[in-house]
Amino acid sequence: MIPSPISSHSLPRVDALGKVTGQACYPGDITPNNLLHGKVLFSGQPHARMISMDLSAALALPGVVAIFTAKDVPNNEYGLIMPDQPVMVGLGSSKPHSDVSLWEGDHVAVIVAETELAAAQARDKIEIEWEQLPIVTDVREAMKDEIILHPWHGSNILHKYQIRKGDMAAGWAAADVVVEGSYTLPYQEHAYLQPEAGLGYIDEEGRVTIEIGGQWTYEDQEQVAHALGLPADQIRIIYPAIGGAFGGREDMSLQIVLGLAALRLQERGIKRPLRIIWSREESIVGHHKRHRAVVHTKWGATKEGMITAVSSELILDSGSYAYTSTKVLGNAHLMVTGPYVIPNAHLDSYAVTTNNVPGGAFRGFGGPQGAFAAENQMNKLAEKLGIDPVELRLKNVLHDGSILTVQSPMPPGVSIDQVIERCAAEIGWGDSNQLSVNGHQFSSIQSLIANPQSLCHGRGIACSFKNVGFSFGAPERCEATIALHGQREIERVVLYHGAAEVGQGSHTVLKQMAAAAVGVDISQVELVMSDTATSGDSGSVSASRMTWMAGNSIRGAAEKALAAWASEERPAKGYVRFTPPPTTGYAEETGECMPNFAYGYVAEAVELTVDVETGHIHVDKVVCANDVGKAINPMLIQGQIEGAVVQAHGYSLMENLWVENGRIRNPFFSQYLIPGIKDIPDHVESVIMEIPDPIGPWGARGMAEMPFMPLAPAIIAALHDATGVWFDEIPLTPARVVAKLREHGIGG
Amino acid sequence: MYPPKFDYLRADSAANALELLAANPDAKVMAGGHSLIPAMNLRLADPGTIIDIGRVADFKFLSANDGYVGIGSGTTHAEVAASSDVPSALSEAAGLIGDPQVRNRGTVGGNIAHADPASDLPTVLVALDATISTVSGSGTRMIKAGDFFVDLFETALNDGELVAEISMNQDGANTGSAYAKLSNPASRYAMVGAAARVTVEGGVFTAVSVAVGGLTPKAQAAPSVGAALVGQAATADNIAAAAAAVQNDLGDDVMGDIHASADYRRQMATVFVKRALTKATERAG
Repeated sequence: MIPSPISSHSLPRVDALGKVTGQACYPGDITPNNLLHGKVLFSGQPHARMISMDLSAALALPGVVAIFTAKDVPNNEYGLIMPDQPVMVGLGSSKPHSDVSLWEGDHVAVIVAETELAAAQARDKIEIEWEQLPIVTDVREAMKDEIILHPWHGSNILHKYQIRKGDMAAGWAAADVVVEGSYTLPYQEHAYLQPEAGLGYIDEEGRVTIEIGGQWTYEDQEQVAHALGLPADQIRIIYPAIGGAFGGREDMSLQIVLGLAALRLQERGIKRPLRIIWSREESIVGHHKRHRAVVHTKWGATKEGMITAVSSELILDSGSYAYTSTKVLGNAHLMVTGPYVIPNAHLDSYAVTTNNVPGGAFRGFGGPQGAFAAENQMNKLAEKLGIDPVELRLKNVLHDGSILTVQSPMPPGVSIDQVIERCAAEIGWGDSNQLSVNGHQFSSIQSLIANPQSLCHGRGIACSFKNVGFSFGAPERCEATIALHGQREIERVVLYHGAAEVGQGSHTVLKQMAAAAVGVDISQVELVMSDTATSGDSGSVSASRMTWMAGNSIRGAAEKALAAWASEERPAKGYVRFTPPPTTGYAEETGECMPNFAYGYVAEAVELTVDVETGHIHVDKVVCANDVGKAINPMLIQGQIEGAVVQAHGYSLMENLWVENGRIRNPFFSQYLIPGIKDIPDHVESVIMEIPDPIGPWGARGMAEMPFMPLAPAIIAALHDATGVWFDEIPLTPARVVAKLREHGIGG
Repeated sequence: MYPPKFDYLRADSAANALELLAANPDAKVMAGGHSLIPAMNLRLADPGTIIDIGRVADFKFLSANDGYVGIGSGTTHAEVAASSDVPSALSEAAGLIGDPQVRNRGTVGGNIAHADPASDLPTVLVALDATISTVSGSGTRMIKAGDFFVDLFETALNDGELVAEISMNQDGANTGSAYAKLSNPASRYAMVGAAARVTVEGGVFTAVSVAVGGLTPKAQAAPSVGAALVGQAATADNIAAAAAAVQNDLGDDVMGDIHASADYRRQMATVFVKRALTKATERAG
């Protein structure tokens, strides 16, 4: 069957009206009758053993209904990739080591009360005695294994990957120039608009039900079922409106404690719903961050500009628990050599356990840390070789069938060369040395106009590739069911799907794809989404995968439903569990594998102005060329590009999480600064390219992480162009910029 | 957050305010409430009784006469920002305080009585050598701005004494003033503030007064800068060289935080003094 075409259409988001009018219900807005309120008590201890816990004063307060602790959890462990974290740290648990808190955000009690105030007061009356244990917060210290944080694991090195390709001695011998760099990358907080909140209750069919914001209903269901010791079908996960995610909702926040409390309350004859809403401070302390990282790397190239060898050591601070660290590490490990052909490679990458906040999923998923090292190295090589950075990249980029460092070929549809060329053309690279926004005057001093003598302008470029979908052998799937209603004509199409709408527009695009796949108008499509009781397993909204995976699942389901329709089934139903081509994990010694089945490609050029006396940087213009394969909804794509650029702008210039002795010291937006409207780039030009992915639905690729990745190194390159100084650490806070410039005798 | 419980008294004249204050010695005086209420909301202050002087007409005036300008303590920041009678440095600083709501409610008197080290006006008033007039049961006092600000949140005001008026010379002939501020990106408070007033005659600096704030526990005069510049030609090089002398006047208590370290603020003191001097010099011409 010839698939029906899809037209690019900037359909306004199907959830827009509810969200702009306030009609949309986020988890914290749902207020059923007879509601109970909960609070979670965090340990506040980066490393300590619980000696005793006294609940009596808390339980004696009026309005307190129940307090649940470690001993109440049937199977006191959880974790997305390994169950290494207790649901609650405390005494009386059947699981060994549950009495030790490894993170200030470890949960120790969930308090249920008639009012939020009573729950908070009871939380503050809980008395705990802790035995302090020595903390480990530096990754290199942790790697010495003098204090081992997870005794069952035997080492603080949570995971190591290595790649051995080619002949390094020959690679270095062939190199005319070598560039060596050490890079330091910071934490980043997701800063979604909606702090964690959720509702737990027993539904009409007796299921433990949790309404919450997440990224994958079936994964939530599995983890709650595991901890509660119940079969998965006794757990129901529903996603109401979700206020942003960016990877920050991939792991559990309140899911398990809400389910636990609902279950235990029912056992006590209390069948009332429970709601917990975290404050911003609780949210920032209580969920993982983008991994901070250090990378030391060395690249060799011939004088003609061909890369001959790369070695690197990359270390991620994975914090107290694994979360998705090993997977993030896998991505960083692959992307630390950039989208280039590397004939000889010797790469070691580590995820290291500390008593800091866990590192985890965040837009780009290890890619930005890898790309930062790779792109800075390329720009430094270009300078050292006297070759234009665009030309140098084009000499070395991957093409269809190019062999990766992991010794397998790139899947077809590689477009990185075209993306770089388009980006360079759009910003006027090489045409002249004139910046298109040259002479922009900005003042870092509110009251005074710019001091033109202290302003320098520069331009820089960088590029990246990023996988679409789960990598390295992780089971990949996406289910869709389509029902066609009507008699002679198809009147109504119902799509049952699990894809979470976290603000990225997935429901809108899925609706567009369902309409196209069936061949009806968008207005005839209804969505039944994100409820484990009705919609299938979509996999997570992550890895830039949902348009790609859901599109393929929808096309399969539509094909089956149309066949059923043709054979007079009414309503005609089609179900598909789509699986993409398989991938494989890194081989232990060499790292050989088939890492991914599809990629997206992006290049970004930046023009900026820096005040060399004060260190303030103003980004004048960003051009982002992003190959999306097929732009199903161009307006949403533009939104994703601009959003990613702004988020990466904050990562590059402003966002500065202050973690001291394992504790976050600035869990407030007054002190952890994200870009405001006056901070963001003046212009972001979204160049949407459509070079089809051969196996993407209608040729579409994933696209939402890619524009995050090259921005930081493009800014670094532009800052170098402006000042002649390389910066190896972000965020580029004014103080950091000034300190480095003055080392070079600039601006002081 | 919400404040602790308090009793509320409203004064209808300066005399009435002093009577109420005498009768309620533990009370806090409030005008715009933009320093006191946040402190109460954060439970940093729990005054029990508030005496509201926000409607006292006696404190609301702004008048210029014979090269001299007097500002009633109840004058709002917005009114000062809009005035062409006050020195440029003062109107420009007042226009940078907080946001429009804060500037429309907050008062000059309340601001300086609070003596927040990150506040803008104290720095400007020290540089302008302003005089602060107070009233109390025992009469009136005139205090020089340089003596008024004593330490972190501490002024020379006695119990039962109120700020009545702030007065200073206008920017006269051949004289210009300016204020340059490095704002905290979130609160807009000054991390470094520099105020300057200069007189240039025949291309030569004949009077220079500079103060800095935001980085020190109190607004701080920078006499070394003036000393280095008076008698010198009004050139960019001379300004740059003299601005560096501010380092001699900063003392050992330069403050830092997550947004700006003490080292960075010290460096910026020179940069901001230079820029304030440059602008003031331009205005003097």
